Amino acid sequence: MAEKTKSEPVYMLGTDEQQQWMQKYDFAPRGIGFAEPGICALDDPSLDAYNIVKSSYQIYPDVFNVDPVAKAVGIKKEEVIERMRRMYDERLVMYAATSNIQVSGFGLYYWLVKLREGTPDAAKQKLANWFQAKDDICTGFECRGDFDFYNGNHMRVLDNLLAEVIEPWKFNPEVEFVHLCPIRRNIRESHVNMFDAPKGEYLKLYWGKNQIESLAKMQNKMDLVDLRIIEALNTRRPAEEMFNFKKISDISGLDPEAIKEGIVDRIDVKKTLAPIFYLNWPKLGLTNHIFVIRLFQITPSCRKAQIADELSHVSEFNTVYEFTDSFYDIMVWAYNEISDIDALRKLLGKYEDIEYIKEADVYKQFRRWACRLDDKSGFWEETVMTDDFLQDWTEKRTCPTDCCSKEGK
Amino acid sequence: MKIDAPREYVVDNLKYALNPSSIAVVGASRYDAKVGYKVIEGLSRCGYKGKIYPVNPRADKVHGLPAYKTLLDIPEPVDLVFVAVPAFLVKMVLEQAVAKKAKMAVIATSAFKEIGRGELQDSLTNYCRKHKLPLIGPNLVGMGSPYLNFNCGFIPYLPIPGPVAMISQSGANLLAALGTSKTQNFGMSFFIGLGNKADVDFAEFIVYGKNDPYTKCIATYIEGLDSPEAYIKACRETVPEKPVVALKVGGSKIGVKAAFAHTASENVGTDDAYYDDIFEKAGAIRVTTWQEFLDVALALGQQPPLKGDNVVMITNGGGSGLLACDHFERIGMPLRELKDISFMLSLKIRAYMPMFGSPLNPVDISGTASPVQYKGALHQAMRDSSVDGVLCSICPTAVTNVPAVVDIAIEMYETYKYLGKPFIMECQGGAECHEAIMKLRAHGIPAYPTAEQSVNAMVGLRKYGKILEKLG
Repeated sequence: MAEKTKSEPVYMLGTDEQQQWMQKYDFAPRGIGFAEPGICALDDPSLDAYNIVKSSYQIYPDVFNVDPVAKAVGIKKEEVIERMRRMYDERLVMYAATSNIQVSGFGLYYWLVKLREGTPDAAKQKLANWFQAKDDICTGFECRGDFDFYNGNHMRVLDNLLAEVIEPWKFNPEVEFVHLCPIRRNIRESHVNMFDAPKGEYLKLYWGKNQIESLAKMQNKMDLVDLRIIEALNTRRPAEEMFNFKKISDISGLDPEAIKEGIVDRIDVKKTLAPIFYLNWPKLGLTNHIFVIRLFQITPSCRKAQIADELSHVSEFNTVYEFTDSFYDIMVWAYNEISDIDALRKLLGKYEDIEYIKEADVYKQFRRWACRLDDKSGFWEETVMTDDFLQDWTEKRTCPTDCCSKEGK
Repeated sequence: MKIDAPREYVVDNLKYALNPSSIAVVGASRYDAKVGYKVIEGLSRCGYKGKIYPVNPRADKVHGLPAYKTLLDIPEPVDLVFVAVPAFLVKMVLEQAVAKKAKMAVIATSAFKEIGRGELQDSLTNYCRKHKLPLIGPNLVGMGSPYLNFNCGFIPYLPIPGPVAMISQSGANLLAALGTSKTQNFGMSFFIGLGNKADVDFAEFIVYGKNDPYTKCIATYIEGLDSPEAYIKACRETVPEKPVVALKVGGSKIGVKAAFAHTASENVGTDDAYYDDIFEKAGAIRVTTWQEFLDVALALGQQPPLKGDNVVMITNGGGSGLLACDHFERIGMPLRELKDISFMLSLKIRAYMPMFGSPLNPVDISGTASPVQYKGALHQAMRDSSVDGVLCSICPTAVTNVPAVVDIAIEMYETYKYLGKPFIMECQGGAECHEAIMKLRAHGIPAYPTAEQSVNAMVGLRKYGKILEKLG
């Protein structure tokens, strides 16, 4: 390994002392947000660009740098803006970001729920309603197959998750199992590579061959031009080219150069923020197929990582996670309607390291990106925070629904 | 930001801050735990009858009302724009407010000058001044009036109606006063959190208070005055009609820094003497503690000024009398002996006390005092032309009928109100005294649980009397 020097730090966060950490260890220090040098609160001035854009793109889509988008799609800038406005108003897209929560000391915990065979629809619906209304859950999906729900939280204390989010219904008679899937590596979300992608692939965009064209044909809410616009917006480029800093400055009154400097540092240098245009795929008539992969437990972790990396190069997989301390090791997603799921299944079948795979189709979305996405109940893009920082939920709170089966919860 | 004098267009428009016919809440939230929801909920719950327009580009409805993407999408005129969005969106909202021809902007948002964004705050202020859009805030909790059923901000409840206008830079202290209002019968005419007071300043609300028919006393909680000249001018215009009380904080060594971090208040280079001079010139009555602020404001709101130093204290508790007379002397207004105030009164009053009572002043009618004795003593003190004001104290003994004495005090006050003499009560004791205080205050009699508080209140009335004498 090449010697790490002060002038060429390997770990991009923190102080000189922390750079020295990397001289001594081969893994990055992980700590508590705010106290960890280099980590910042969500309202830190270095995040002004993102925060301003997130709060105003609904009105002014030109807070993004739409020139390269117009060029890539081959239409006028004004048309790009008009289409972006329409896509937002029709709740087809949402701008969001993933923060690299693990370096802030969070755990990112997903969990699968399987209901017993023959569970009445009403019982499943009741649980679904509870998940939908539970603001501690940042990501929630209803599924059909080897499991019935796929939900997630980012939290600091595992006991808080268990006590407040899972125990209230875990012992319901209809629940067959709840399996925790803590994230080891967040490799890809919604087509965009995240912080734990293989080196040099952070923010790289993946769509399968002809998937965009197929999607344009299978529905009438977004045409090919719309989809190309979203593709272009999500295409990796330096942070300073992502935004229209003059517009952001006009809106906020803040110095455009300071705004630019802050966001470039966060996205390109420290890599703690991955912005993304989220395609509201259920609204387009898409469903996702999830493969949750269990490797033989004798599989070395380097091999596990290698398999995850290899799968991340499969363009049809729009989401790729590697888990830790779980029954499962890797999870990948692909759209049913515009992917060859059988072919993907066969591809996975070639890996002799795989012990078994659980599969399910996702047909309903509760939450994503720490936002409620249920526009039907009037909560489109309502942001909910799911941090348990400084809190002990094991003592406390009252279960908000009558689905709770434990006295006193 | 500095002004030289209260601006007419601002004072004229302040009616839209407290009695608008329509409000746009920018940053209205669908979630009931969020500030932008609480504002609308508070307006509705307290009975606001005007139109409410939630503005939220993500929402179709908020609190059952149609939501608008921007101010400019609202089809009707908007009087008041209440802003509860992050600091970096405020410029955009103000530009829309100007385009919408709104009459008043209130910015609840923090993170301006108090965290070093003075340039941004000043540029927004200049923009609003250029377009004659008065801006209240930023960094404030809200405002309201119980007379107008108006609760605009993240404020849990309205105060009870009453005489005191509360103008406060601190939201927390304002909320404390609102809480006190309920639990202590401290009535308010209106209240406003000024926060950083980037544009609209104390001066303009003081003039507004002068013109407000419900306001009898204006209480100003100050962390720093950017515009002392304007404050002085506004007070001098107001004080002949209504008293102004001033509590200035942020004078200690660390308080100077804390006041800047809180509401961007500049106190470097100022000291107590600097503010003494301002309040002296203004004719404002300076107090030094929060409790004194509330006590004196209530007295000034409910009672006429004390025109002379001849105060008679009637008590059934010698200890309470001692606490009071010591405190009177300590703060520069010693009690005079009763015989020196009115020799005849010192003789007459003996009829209403046992032989072991004391007609000195405090007049101790003893722990066995009956309602009849209280009535007689109060009668005599109120009617004596040499007496300028009366302080009456109840200390509940086993034989004291507190409710009956309270009724007599109210009767005496009502009977002799026309004489224009201040009447203050002290009810020193437990639950029965708290009930007594509540009842007395409801009848316009400032009542307090301790001797020192009641003395502070009486002295405040005397200070106002002297200010009026000085003004001629």
